[in-house]
Amino acid sequence: MADKSLEWGLGHIRASEPIKGFFFSPREKVASFPEKFEPEDQKKRILFGVKACDLSALKVQQKMFLEGNFRDPFYDARLKNTILIAADCSEPEDTCFCNLMGNKPYATEGADMTLSVLDEGYLFEVMTGRGNELIDLGGDAFGPVTDAQVARRDENHKAAVDKLNRINPRSWNPDLAKAIEGKIQDEAFWRRHAESCVECYGCLLACPTCFCFLLYDEAKQTGVERTKVWDACYMAAYARVGGGANPKAEFLKRFMNRFFCKFVHFKNEHGFYACTGCGRCIKGCMGKIDIRKVLAEL
Amino acid sequence: MSNPYQPFKAKILNISDETPNIRTFVLEPEQEVRFLAGQFVELTVPGFGEAPFTPSSSQFERDRIEITIMKVGRATTALFKLGAGDMVGIRGPYGNPYPLNKFEGKEIFIVGGGVGLAPLRALFLALAHEINKYKKIYLRYGARSPKDIVYKKLIPEWKKMKGVDLDLSVDVGDETWKGKVGVVTILLKEIPCDLKNSVAVVCGPPVMMKFVTRRLLEIGFPDDMIYLSMEKNMSCGLGQCGHCRLGPYFTCKDGPVLTWDQIKDIKDPF
Repeated sequence: MADKSLEWGLGHIRASEPIKGFFFSPREKVASFPEKFEPEDQKKRILFGVKACDLSALKVQQKMFLEGNFRDPFYDARLKNTILIAADCSEPEDTCFCNLMGNKPYATEGADMTLSVLDEGYLFEVMTGRGNELIDLGGDAFGPVTDAQVARRDENHKAAVDKLNRINPRSWNPDLAKAIEGKIQDEAFWRRHAESCVECYGCLLACPTCFCFLLYDEAKQTGVERTKVWDACYMAAYARVGGGANPKAEFLKRFMNRFFCKFVHFKNEHGFYACTGCGRCIKGCMGKIDIRKVLAEL
Repeated sequence: MSNPYQPFKAKILNISDETPNIRTFVLEPEQEVRFLAGQFVELTVPGFGEAPFTPSSSQFERDRIEITIMKVGRATTALFKLGAGDMVGIRGPYGNPYPLNKFEGKEIFIVGGGVGLAPLRALFLALAHEINKYKKIYLRYGARSPKDIVYKKLIPEWKKMKGVDLDLSVDVGDETWKGKVGVVTILLKEIPCDLKNSVAVVCGPPVMMKFVTRRLLEIGFPDDMIYLSMEKNMSCGLGQCGHCRLGPYFTCKDGPVLTWDQIKDIKDPF
Protein backbone atom coordinates (compact mmCIF):
# COMPACT_ATOMS: atom_id res chain seq x y z
CA MET A 1 0.00 0.00 0.00
CA ALA A 2 1.15 3.50 -0.72
CA ASP A 3 2.51 5.09 2.43
CA LYS A 4 0.81 8.48 2.80
CA SER A 5 3.74 9.78 4.83
CA LEU A 6 5.81 9.68 1.66
CA GLU A 7 3.54 12.07 -0.13
CA TRP A 8 5.60 15.09 0.86
CA GLY A 9 8.24 13.84 -1.50
CA LEU A 10 5.87 12.99 -4.28
CA GLY A 11 3.75 16.18 -4.28
CA HIS A 12 1.46 17.12 -7.08
CA ILE A 13 3.95 19.40 -8.85
CA ARG A 14 7.54 20.56 -8.50
CA ALA A 15 8.74 22.00 -5.20
CA SER A 16 8.77 25.77 -4.90
CA GLU A 17 12.58 25.81 -5.11
CA PRO A 18 14.30 24.20 -8.06
CA ILE A 19 16.80 21.39 -7.45
CA LYS A 20 19.58 23.34 -9.16
CA GLY A 21 20.81 24.61 -5.79
CA PHE A 22 21.86 21.09 -4.84
CA PHE A 23 24.50 21.29 -7.59
CA PHE A 24 24.99 24.97 -8.38
CA SER A 25 25.05 26.24 -4.84
CA PRO A 26 23.36 29.59 -4.11
CA ARG A 27 26.53 30.59 -2.25
CA GLU A 28 29.77 28.71 -1.94
CA LYS A 29 33.48 29.22 -1.46
CA VAL A 30 35.29 28.37 -4.69
CA ALA A 31 38.81 29.74 -4.25
CA SER A 32 41.18 31.33 -1.79
CA PHE A 33 44.40 33.27 -1.96
CA PRO A 34 47.30 32.87 -1.44
CA GLU A 35 46.49 29.37 -0.10
CA LYS A 36 44.82 27.33 -2.81
CA PHE A 37 41.34 25.91 -2.32
CA GLU A 38 40.23 22.67 -3.93
CA PRO A 39 36.81 21.01 -3.96
CA GLU A 40 36.15 18.78 -0.97
CA ASP A 41 34.84 15.25 -1.24
CA GLN A 42 31.09 15.23 -1.63
CA LYS A 43 28.81 13.03 0.40
CA LYS A 44 26.64 10.64 -1.55
CA ARG A 45 22.98 11.55 -1.53
CA ILE A 46 19.64 10.82 -3.08
CA LEU A 47 17.26 13.44 -4.41
CA PHE A 48 13.82 11.93 -4.18
CA GLY A 49 10.67 13.04 -5.94
CA VAL A 50 12.31 15.21 -8.60
CA LYS A 51 9.96 16.45 -11.29
CA ALA A 52 10.62 16.25 -15.01
CA CYS A 53 10.83 20.03 -15.43
CA ASP A 54 13.71 20.20 -12.97
CA LEU A 55 15.45 17.28 -14.61
CA SER A 56 15.31 19.07 -17.99
CA ALA A 57 16.67 22.18 -16.33
CA LEU A 58 19.72 20.25 -15.18
CA LYS A 59 20.61 19.75 -18.84
CA VAL A 60 20.86 23.51 -19.24
CA GLN A 61 23.07 23.83 -16.20
CA GLN A 62 25.27 20.96 -17.32
CA LYS A 63 25.85 22.64 -20.68
CA MET A 64 27.15 25.67 -18.82
CA PHE A 65 29.12 24.09 -16.01
CA LEU A 66 30.33 20.79 -17.41
CA GLU A 67 30.30 20.87 -21.19
CA GLY A 68 31.98 24.18 -22.02
CA ASN A 69 35.69 24.96 -22.21
CA PHE A 70 35.99 24.75 -18.43
CA ARG A 71 34.39 22.26 -16.07
CA ASP A 72 33.18 23.34 -12.67
CA PRO A 73 34.64 20.72 -10.31
CA PHE A 74 32.20 21.62 -7.53
CA TYR A 75 29.20 21.00 -9.75
CA ASP A 76 30.76 17.88 -11.20
CA ALA A 77 31.46 16.29 -7.80
CA ARG A 78 27.94 16.96 -6.55
CA LEU A 79 26.29 15.57 -9.65
CA LYS A 80 28.44 12.44 -9.63
CA ASN A 81 27.52 11.75 -6.03
CA THR A 82 23.79 12.25 -6.40
CA ILE A 83 21.21 9.65 -7.25
CA LEU A 84 18.14 11.17 -8.83
CA ILE A 85 14.78 9.56 -8.29
CA ALA A 86 12.01 11.23 -10.22
CA ALA A 87 8.29 11.22 -9.54
CA ASP A 88 5.31 11.96 -11.75
CA CYS A 89 3.33 15.18 -11.54
CA SER A 90 -0.19 14.10 -10.72
CA GLU A 91 -1.95 17.47 -10.67
CA PRO A 92 -0.32 20.18 -12.83
CA GLU A 93 -1.15 23.68 -11.63
CA ASP A 94 -2.42 26.60 -13.64
CA THR A 95 1.11 28.06 -13.81
CA CYS A 96 2.60 24.88 -15.31
CA PHE A 97 3.38 24.94 -19.03
CA CYS A 98 5.86 22.15 -19.59
CA ASN A 99 3.67 20.87 -22.41
CA LEU A 100 4.34 24.06 -24.36
CA MET A 101 8.09 23.62 -23.89
CA GLY A 102 8.04 20.11 -25.30
CA ASN A 103 8.26 18.42 -21.91
CA LYS A 104 6.09 15.89 -20.12
CA PRO A 105 4.69 15.93 -16.56
CA TYR A 106 6.64 12.73 -15.92
CA ALA A 107 10.31 11.84 -16.33
CA THR A 108 11.44 10.13 -19.49
CA GLU A 109 15.18 10.70 -19.00
CA GLY A 110 17.68 12.44 -16.76
CA ALA A 111 17.02 10.46 -13.56
CA ASP A 112 18.32 7.12 -12.31
CA MET A 113 14.81 5.89 -11.76
CA THR A 114 11.33 7.33 -11.69
CA LEU A 115 8.32 6.40 -9.67
CA SER A 116 4.60 6.62 -10.14
CA VAL A 117 2.11 6.46 -7.30
CA LEU A 118 -0.52 3.75 -7.66
CA ASP A 119 -3.22 2.92 -5.11
CA GLU A 120 -1.48 -0.20 -3.94
CA GLY A 121 2.10 1.04 -3.95
CA TYR A 122 4.79 2.65 -6.11
CA LEU A 123 5.74 1.71 -9.61
CA PHE A 124 9.44 2.22 -10.25
CA GLU A 125 10.94 2.45 -13.67
CA VAL A 126 14.70 2.11 -13.82
CA MET A 127 16.56 4.47 -16.16
CA THR A 128 20.24 3.88 -15.43
CA GLY A 129 22.64 1.28 -14.11
CA ARG A 130 22.69 3.11 -10.81
CA GLY A 131 18.92 2.76 -10.67
CA ASN A 132 19.30 -0.97 -11.23
CA GLU A 133 21.74 -1.22 -8.33
CA LEU A 134 19.19 0.47 -6.08
CA ILE A 135 16.51 -2.03 -7.04
CA ASP A 136 18.96 -4.86 -6.26
CA LEU A 137 19.73 -3.30 -2.89
CA GLY A 138 16.01 -3.07 -2.18
CA GLY A 139 15.64 -6.84 -2.45
CA ASP A 140 12.22 -8.01 -1.37
CA ALA A 141 10.86 -4.49 -1.09
CA PHE A 142 10.42 -4.58 -4.85
CA GLY A 143 8.15 -7.01 -6.62
CA PRO A 144 7.15 -7.59 -10.22
CA VAL A 145 4.87 -5.15 -12.00
CA THR A 146 1.73 -6.26 -13.77
CA ASP A 147 0.59 -5.06 -17.18
CA ALA A 148 -2.51 -3.64 -15.52
CA GLN A 149 -0.35 -1.52 -13.21
CA VAL A 150 1.67 -0.19 -16.14
CA ALA A 151 -1.57 0.59 -17.96
CA ARG A 152 -2.86 2.52 -14.95
CA ARG A 153 0.41 4.43 -14.70
CA ASP A 154 0.08 5.35 -18.37
CA GLU A 155 -3.50 6.49 -17.81
CA ASN A 156 -2.35 8.75 -15.00
CA HIS A 157 0.33 10.17 -17.27
CA LYS A 158 -2.27 10.87 -19.91
CA ALA A 159 -4.59 12.51 -17.40
CA ALA A 160 -1.80 14.91 -16.36
CA VAL A 161 -0.98 15.70 -19.99
CA ASP A 162 -4.67 16.30 -20.71
CA LYS A 163 -4.87 18.66 -17.77
CA LEU A 164 -1.86 20.60 -19.04
CA ASN A 165 -3.45 20.84 -22.45
CA ARG A 166 -6.56 22.28 -20.81
CA ILE A 167 -4.47 24.79 -18.83
CA ASN A 168 -2.51 25.80 -21.93
CA PRO A 169 -4.82 25.11 -24.84
CA ARG A 170 -3.09 27.37 -27.32
CA SER A 171 0.37 26.70 -28.55
CA TRP A 172 2.67 29.47 -29.72
CA ASN A 173 5.07 30.18 -32.52
CA PRO A 174 7.08 26.95 -32.86
CA ASP A 175 10.25 28.91 -33.58
CA LEU A 176 10.46 31.11 -30.49
CA ALA A 177 14.08 32.00 -31.24
CA LYS A 178 13.20 33.51 -34.58
CA ALA A 179 10.04 35.13 -33.24
CA ILE A 180 11.93 36.84 -30.41
CA GLU A 181 14.74 37.94 -32.69
CA GLY A 182 12.12 39.46 -34.92
CA LYS A 183 11.05 41.66 -32.02
CA ILE A 184 14.51 43.06 -31.29
CA GLN A 185 13.65 46.53 -32.56
CA ASP A 186 10.10 46.57 -31.15
CA GLU A 187 10.79 48.40 -27.89
CA ALA A 188 7.07 49.08 -27.37
CA PHE A 189 6.40 45.33 -27.18
CA TRP A 190 9.03 44.77 -24.50
CA ARG A 191 8.13 47.94 -22.63
CA ARG A 192 4.52 46.83 -22.45
CA HIS A 193 5.43 43.48 -20.95
CA ALA A 194 8.08 44.91 -18.61
CA GLU A 195 5.77 47.63 -17.35
CA SER A 196 4.66 45.94 -14.13
CA CYS A 197 8.11 44.48 -13.29
CA VAL A 198 9.38 45.76 -9.95
CA GLU A 199 12.89 44.34 -10.54
CA CYS A 200 12.71 41.96 -7.59
CA TYR A 201 14.60 39.29 -9.64
CA GLY A 202 12.34 36.64 -8.10
CA CYS A 203 11.67 35.09 -11.51
CA LEU A 204 15.37 34.60 -12.13
CA LEU A 205 16.30 33.35 -8.68
CA ALA A 206 13.42 30.84 -8.82
CA CYS A 207 14.33 29.75 -12.34
CA PRO A 208 15.76 26.22 -12.57
CA THR A 209 17.82 27.04 -15.67
CA CYS A 210 19.30 30.46 -14.81
CA PHE A 211 23.03 29.96 -14.45
CA CYS A 212 24.43 33.46 -13.92
CA PHE A 213 26.73 33.93 -10.98
CA LEU A 214 28.95 36.52 -9.40
CA LEU A 215 32.40 35.95 -7.98
CA TYR A 216 33.37 38.18 -5.10
CA ASP A 217 36.41 38.32 -2.89
CA GLU A 218 36.58 39.06 0.82
CA ALA A 219 39.66 39.64 2.94
CA LYS A 220 39.68 37.23 5.89
CA GLN A 221 42.31 36.73 8.56
CA THR A 222 43.71 33.73 6.73
CA GLY A 223 43.72 35.43 3.35
CA VAL A 224 41.29 36.09 0.56
CA GLU A 225 38.18 34.01 0.17
CA ARG A 226 36.37 33.88 -3.16
CA THR A 227 32.65 33.23 -3.08
CA LYS A 228 30.40 32.31 -5.96
CA VAL A 229 26.78 33.43 -5.58
CA TRP A 230 23.73 33.26 -7.80
CA ASP A 231 23.31 36.40 -9.83
CA ALA A 232 20.53 37.66 -12.06
CA CYS A 233 20.68 39.67 -15.27
CA TYR A 234 17.92 42.00 -13.98
CA MET A 235 20.37 43.47 -11.44
CA ALA A 236 21.23 47.07 -12.37
CA ALA A 237 25.00 46.57 -12.13
CA TYR A 238 24.95 43.24 -13.94
CA ALA A 239 26.88 44.38 -17.04
CA ARG A 240 28.75 47.31 -15.48
CA VAL A 241 32.48 47.34 -16.07
CA GLY A 242 35.34 48.92 -14.13
CA GLY A 243 35.13 52.68 -14.57
CA GLY A 244 31.35 52.62 -14.59
CA ALA A 245 30.32 52.08 -18.21
CA ASN A 246 27.18 49.96 -18.26
CA PRO A 247 25.98 48.58 -21.58
CA LYS A 248 22.76 47.33 -19.95
CA ALA A 249 22.06 50.37 -17.77
CA GLU A 250 18.52 50.60 -19.06
CA PHE A 251 16.21 48.03 -17.46
CA LEU A 252 14.50 47.25 -20.74
CA LYS A 253 17.77 45.83 -22.08
CA ARG A 254 18.04 43.56 -19.05
CA PHE A 255 14.40 42.52 -19.35
CA MET A 256 15.00 41.61 -22.99
CA ASN A 257 18.19 39.80 -22.05
CA ARG A 258 16.17 37.25 -20.08
CA PHE A 259 14.16 36.32 -23.16
CA PHE A 260 17.06 36.46 -25.61
CA CYS A 261 19.28 34.39 -23.32
CA LYS A 262 16.74 31.62 -22.73
CA PHE A 263 14.97 31.41 -26.06
CA VAL A 264 17.39 32.74 -28.67
CA HIS A 265 21.05 32.44 -27.72
CA PHE A 266 20.85 29.24 -25.71
CA LYS A 267 18.69 27.57 -28.36
CA ASN A 268 20.98 28.63 -31.19
CA GLU A 269 24.10 27.49 -29.36
CA HIS A 270 22.88 24.29 -27.72
CA GLY A 271 19.81 23.24 -29.67
CA PHE A 272 17.17 23.59 -26.95
CA TYR A 273 15.47 26.32 -24.95
CA ALA A 274 16.68 27.27 -21.49
CA CYS A 275 13.12 27.10 -20.18
CA THR A 276 11.32 23.97 -19.07
CA GLY A 277 7.86 25.39 -18.37
CA CYS A 278 8.01 24.91 -14.60
CA GLY A 279 6.06 28.13 -14.09
CA ARG A 280 7.94 29.32 -11.01
CA CYS A 281 8.58 32.71 -12.62
CA ILE A 282 4.84 33.16 -13.12
CA LYS A 283 3.90 32.02 -9.65
CA GLY A 284 6.47 34.23 -7.94
CA CYS A 285 5.94 37.41 -9.92
CA MET A 286 4.71 40.38 -7.90
CA GLY A 287 3.96 42.23 -11.12
CA LYS A 288 1.85 39.35 -12.43
CA ILE A 289 4.02 38.98 -15.52
CA ASP A 290 3.18 35.73 -17.24
CA ILE A 291 5.97 34.54 -19.50
CA ARG A 292 3.40 32.54 -21.48
CA LYS A 293 1.60 35.74 -22.37
CA VAL A 294 4.83 37.35 -23.58
CA LEU A 295 5.67 34.33 -25.73
CA ALA A 296 2.11 33.98 -27.04
CA GLU A 297 2.06 37.58 -28.20
CA LEU A 298 5.25 37.37 -30.23
CA MET B 1 40.08 18.13 -11.78
CA SER B 2 41.60 21.59 -11.63
CA ASN B 3 39.66 24.43 -10.09
CA PRO B 4 39.08 27.13 -12.72
CA TYR B 5 38.15 29.78 -10.14
CA GLN B 6 41.47 29.43 -8.32
CA PRO B 7 44.18 32.01 -9.10
CA PHE B 8 47.84 31.35 -8.56
CA LYS B 9 50.47 33.73 -7.29
CA ALA B 10 52.26 36.33 -9.37
CA LYS B 11 54.92 38.63 -7.96
CA ILE B 12 55.05 42.25 -9.01
CA LEU B 13 58.62 42.77 -10.24
CA ASN B 14 58.34 46.34 -11.39
CA ILE B 15 55.82 49.13 -11.88
CA SER B 16 56.29 52.03 -14.23
CA ASP B 17 54.14 55.10 -14.78
CA GLU B 18 52.84 55.49 -18.30
CA THR B 19 50.52 58.44 -17.65
CA PRO B 20 49.11 60.03 -14.48
CA ASN B 21 46.52 57.21 -14.23
CA ILE B 22 48.02 54.37 -16.28
CA ARG B 23 50.81 52.09 -15.10
CA THR B 24 52.58 49.06 -16.50
CA PHE B 25 52.99 46.17 -14.07
CA VAL B 26 55.66 43.56 -14.72
CA LEU B 27 54.55 40.27 -13.18
CA GLU B 28 56.35 37.03 -12.54
CA PRO B 29 53.70 34.30 -12.25
CA GLU B 30 54.61 31.19 -10.24
CA GLN B 31 53.54 29.09 -13.19
CA GLU B 32 53.60 29.97 -16.87
CA VAL B 33 50.63 31.81 -18.38
CA ARG B 34 50.88 30.72 -21.99
CA PHE B 35 48.84 33.50 -23.51
CA LEU B 36 48.68 34.49 -27.16
CA ALA B 37 48.21 38.12 -28.22
CA GLY B 38 44.60 39.14 -27.69
CA GLN B 39 43.85 36.68 -24.90
CA PHE B 40 43.24 38.03 -21.42
CA VAL B 41 43.88 37.04 -17.82
CA GLU B 42 41.93 37.57 -14.60
CA LEU B 43 44.02 39.45 -12.06
CA THR B 44 43.25 39.22 -8.36
CA VAL B 45 44.07 42.21 -6.20
CA PRO B 46 44.09 40.46 -2.82
CA GLY B 47 41.04 41.49 -0.83
CA PHE B 48 39.67 43.84 -3.46
CA GLY B 49 38.48 41.53 -6.20
CA GLU B 50 39.32 40.36 -9.62
CA ALA B 51 39.25 42.00 -13.04
CA PRO B 52 40.14 41.05 -16.62
CA PHE B 53 43.19 42.51 -18.36
CA THR B 54 44.87 41.76 -21.64
CA PRO B 55 48.64 41.42 -21.32
CA SER B 56 50.63 43.96 -23.29
CA SER B 57 53.93 42.08 -23.47
CA SER B 58 55.09 39.67 -26.12
CA GLN B 59 53.54 36.22 -26.22
CA PHE B 60 57.02 34.89 -26.88
CA GLU B 61 58.28 36.05 -23.50
CA ARG B 62 57.33 33.26 -21.13
CA ASP B 63 58.57 33.94 -17.62
CA ARG B 64 57.11 37.37 -17.10
CA ILE B 65 54.02 39.24 -18.20
CA GLU B 66 53.49 42.95 -18.55
CA ILE B 67 50.05 44.41 -18.10
CA THR B 68 49.26 48.06 -18.65
CA ILE B 69 46.39 49.15 -16.47
CA MET B 70 44.32 52.30 -16.04
CA LYS B 71 43.07 53.22 -12.59
CA VAL B 72 39.29 53.26 -12.95
CA GLY B 73 37.56 51.33 -10.19
CA ARG B 74 37.84 49.49 -6.89
CA ALA B 75 40.28 46.75 -7.89
CA THR B 76 42.56 48.95 -9.97
CA THR B 77 42.66 51.66 -7.28
CA ALA B 78 43.81 49.01 -4.81
CA LEU B 79 46.29 47.64 -7.33
CA PHE B 80 47.86 51.08 -7.71
CA LYS B 81 48.64 51.05 -3.98
CA LEU B 82 50.81 47.93 -4.38
CA GLY B 83 54.52 48.03 -5.09
CA ALA B 84 57.35 45.89 -6.39
CA GLY B 85 57.60 42.66 -4.39
CA ASP B 86 53.89 42.53 -3.61
CA MET B 87 51.83 39.53 -4.64
CA VAL B 88 48.75 39.43 -6.83
CA GLY B 89 46.73 36.50 -8.15
CA ILE B 90 46.41 35.49 -11.77
CA ARG B 91 44.42 32.91 -13.75
CA GLY B 92 44.04 32.39 -17.46
CA PRO B 93 44.60 32.89 -20.31
CA TYR B 94 41.05 33.18 -21.57
CA GLY B 95 39.35 34.05 -24.83
CA ASN B 96 40.56 33.81 -28.38
CA PRO B 97 43.82 35.28 -29.64
CA TYR B 98 44.19 37.38 -32.77
CA PRO B 99 44.18 34.96 -35.71
CA LEU B 100 47.75 35.71 -36.77
CA ASN B 101 47.72 32.96 -39.40
CA LYS B 102 44.92 34.83 -41.17
CA PHE B 103 46.97 38.03 -41.00
CA GLU B 104 49.96 36.54 -42.83
CA GLY B 105 50.86 38.22 -46.11
CA LYS B 106 48.54 41.11 -45.34
CA GLU B 107 48.87 44.75 -44.41
CA ILE B 108 47.82 45.17 -40.79
CA PHE B 109 46.16 48.47 -39.97
CA ILE B 110 46.10 48.91 -36.19
CA VAL B 111 44.14 51.71 -34.53
CA GLY B 112 44.41 52.35 -30.80
CA GLY B 113 42.84 54.83 -28.44
CA GLY B 114 44.08 55.66 -24.94
CA VAL B 115 44.90 52.65 -22.82
CA GLY B 116 43.53 50.55 -25.69
CA LEU B 117 47.07 50.52 -27.04
CA ALA B 118 47.96 48.04 -24.28
CA PRO B 119 46.50 44.87 -25.85
CA LEU B 120 47.56 46.15 -29.26
CA ARG B 121 51.14 46.27 -28.02
CA ALA B 122 50.99 42.50 -27.46
CA LEU B 123 49.71 42.14 -31.02
CA PHE B 124 52.35 44.54 -32.37
CA LEU B 125 55.14 42.62 -30.62
CA ALA B 126 53.81 39.30 -31.93
CA LEU B 127 53.72 40.71 -35.46
CA ALA B 128 57.15 42.32 -35.09
CA HIS B 129 58.60 39.01 -33.90
CA GLU B 130 58.01 37.55 -37.36
CA ILE B 131 57.71 40.75 -39.31
CA ASN B 132 58.60 39.19 -42.65
CA LYS B 133 55.36 37.24 -42.56
CA TYR B 134 53.34 40.44 -42.88
CA LYS B 135 53.35 42.90 -45.72
CA LYS B 136 53.29 46.03 -43.63
CA ILE B 137 52.20 47.18 -40.18
CA TYR B 138 50.42 50.49 -39.79
CA LEU B 139 49.83 51.81 -36.28
CA ARG B 140 47.55 54.77 -35.63
CA TYR B 141 47.22 55.92 -32.05
CA GLY B 142 45.22 58.66 -30.42
CA ALA B 143 45.36 59.89 -26.83
CA ARG B 144 43.57 62.71 -25.05
CA SER B 145 46.67 64.82 -24.53
CA PRO B 146 50.45 64.38 -24.85
CA LYS B 147 50.71 63.35 -21.20
CA ASP B 148 48.07 60.63 -21.76
CA ILE B 149 50.17 58.81 -24.37
CA VAL B 150 51.26 55.37 -23.16
CA TYR B 151 54.59 53.73 -24.10
CA LYS B 152 56.19 57.14 -24.73
CA LYS B 153 59.68 55.61 -24.81
CA LEU B 154 58.74 52.67 -26.99
CA ILE B 155 56.79 54.48 -29.68
CA PRO B 156 59.85 56.25 -31.20
CA GLU B 157 61.59 52.85 -31.42
CA TRP B 158 58.59 51.25 -33.12
CA LYS B 159 58.49 54.14 -35.56
CA LYS B 160 62.03 53.38 -36.69
CA MET B 161 61.29 49.73 -37.40
CA LYS B 162 61.38 48.57 -41.01
CA GLY B 163 57.94 47.64 -42.27
CA VAL B 164 56.19 49.84 -39.70
CA ASP B 165 54.29 53.05 -40.43
CA LEU B 166 53.24 54.86 -37.26
CA ASP B 167 51.28 58.04 -36.68
CA LEU B 168 49.88 59.71 -33.57
CA SER B 169 47.37 62.33 -32.64
CA VAL B 170 46.14 63.92 -29.44
CA ASP B 171 42.67 65.36 -28.86
CA VAL B 172 44.17 68.41 -27.17
CA GLY B 173 47.81 69.47 -27.62
CA ASP B 174 50.11 71.44 -25.36
CA GLU B 175 53.21 73.59 -25.78
CA THR B 176 55.46 70.51 -26.16
CA TRP B 177 53.32 68.76 -28.77
CA LYS B 178 54.39 69.15 -32.39
CA GLY B 179 52.28 66.34 -33.83
CA LYS B 180 48.73 66.14 -35.06
CA VAL B 181 45.80 67.39 -33.02
CA GLY B 182 42.31 65.89 -33.21
CA VAL B 183 40.46 62.70 -32.38
CA VAL B 184 42.04 59.53 -33.75
CA THR B 185 39.81 59.46 -36.81
CA ILE B 186 41.83 62.39 -38.23
CA LEU B 187 44.56 59.81 -38.77
CA LEU B 188 42.14 57.78 -40.89
CA LYS B 189 41.39 60.41 -43.52
CA GLU B 190 43.69 58.64 -45.89
CA ILE B 191 44.50 55.01 -45.50
CA PRO B 192 47.41 53.85 -47.62
CA CYS B 193 46.54 50.14 -47.44
CA ASP B 194 45.56 47.92 -50.30
CA LEU B 195 42.04 47.17 -49.06
CA LYS B 196 41.92 43.90 -50.94
CA ASN B 197 44.74 42.57 -48.81
CA SER B 198 44.43 44.28 -45.44
CA VAL B 199 42.99 43.76 -41.98
CA ALA B 200 42.15 46.45 -39.47
CA VAL B 201 42.52 45.91 -35.72
CA VAL B 202 40.94 48.36 -33.30
CA CYS B 203 41.05 48.75 -29.54
CA GLY B 204 39.98 51.72 -27.47
CA PRO B 205 37.07 53.23 -25.59
CA PRO B 206 33.64 52.19 -26.95
CA VAL B 207 32.87 55.56 -28.52
CA MET B 208 36.25 55.60 -30.27
CA MET B 209 35.70 52.10 -31.64
CA LYS B 210 32.28 53.08 -32.90
CA PHE B 211 33.58 56.02 -34.91
CA VAL B 212 36.73 54.24 -36.09
CA THR B 213 34.63 51.30 -37.31
CA ARG B 214 32.30 53.68 -39.12
CA ARG B 215 35.30 55.30 -40.82
CA LEU B 216 36.91 51.98 -41.75
CA LEU B 217 33.66 50.84 -43.34
CA GLU B 218 33.40 54.12 -45.28
CA ILE B 219 36.87 53.59 -46.65
CA GLY B 220 35.90 50.11 -47.74
CA PHE B 221 37.33 47.63 -45.26
CA PRO B 222 35.28 44.44 -45.55
CA ASP B 223 33.12 43.65 -42.48
CA ASP B 224 35.07 40.50 -41.68
CA MET B 225 38.44 42.26 -41.89
CA ILE B 226 37.77 44.65 -39.01
CA TYR B 227 38.81 43.13 -35.66
CA LEU B 228 37.43 44.86 -32.59
CA SER B 229 38.23 44.38 -28.90
CA MET B 230 34.77 43.93 -27.40
CA GLU B 231 35.60 43.52 -23.72
CA LYS B 232 32.47 43.56 -21.60
CA ASN B 233 32.12 42.58 -17.93
CA MET B 234 34.23 39.42 -18.29
CA SER B 235 33.88 38.37 -14.70
CA CYS B 236 34.56 34.63 -14.67
CA GLY B 237 36.49 34.34 -17.94
CA LEU B 238 35.16 30.80 -18.34
CA GLY B 239 32.07 31.37 -20.47
CA GLN B 240 29.76 30.64 -17.57
CA CYS B 241 28.76 33.60 -15.41
CA GLY B 242 26.79 35.46 -18.07
CA HIS B 243 27.90 39.04 -17.39
CA CYS B 244 29.83 39.62 -20.61
CA ARG B 245 26.89 38.76 -22.87
CA LEU B 246 27.03 40.62 -26.17
CA GLY B 247 24.24 39.44 -28.44
CA PRO B 248 24.83 35.72 -29.05
CA TYR B 249 28.32 35.85 -27.59
CA PHE B 250 29.99 35.66 -24.24
CA THR B 251 32.89 37.99 -25.00
CA CYS B 252 35.15 36.09 -22.59
CA LYS B 253 34.71 32.87 -24.56
CA ASP B 254 33.81 33.92 -28.10
CA GLY B 255 35.89 37.12 -28.02
CA PRO B 256 37.13 39.38 -26.68
CA VAL B 257 38.23 40.12 -30.24
CA LEU B 258 35.30 39.89 -32.64
CA THR B 259 35.00 41.06 -36.22
CA TRP B 260 32.51 43.69 -37.29
CA ASP B 261 30.89 40.98 -39.37
CA GLN B 262 30.18 39.03 -36.18
CA ILE B 263 28.65 41.93 -34.27
CA LYS B 264 27.07 44.20 -36.88
CA ASP B 265 23.56 42.80 -36.34
CA ILE B 266 23.67 43.27 -32.57
CA LYS B 267 21.70 46.20 -31.20
CA ASP B 268 24.10 48.87 -29.81
CA PRO B 269 27.19 46.62 -29.86
CA PHE B 270 29.48 49.27 -28.42
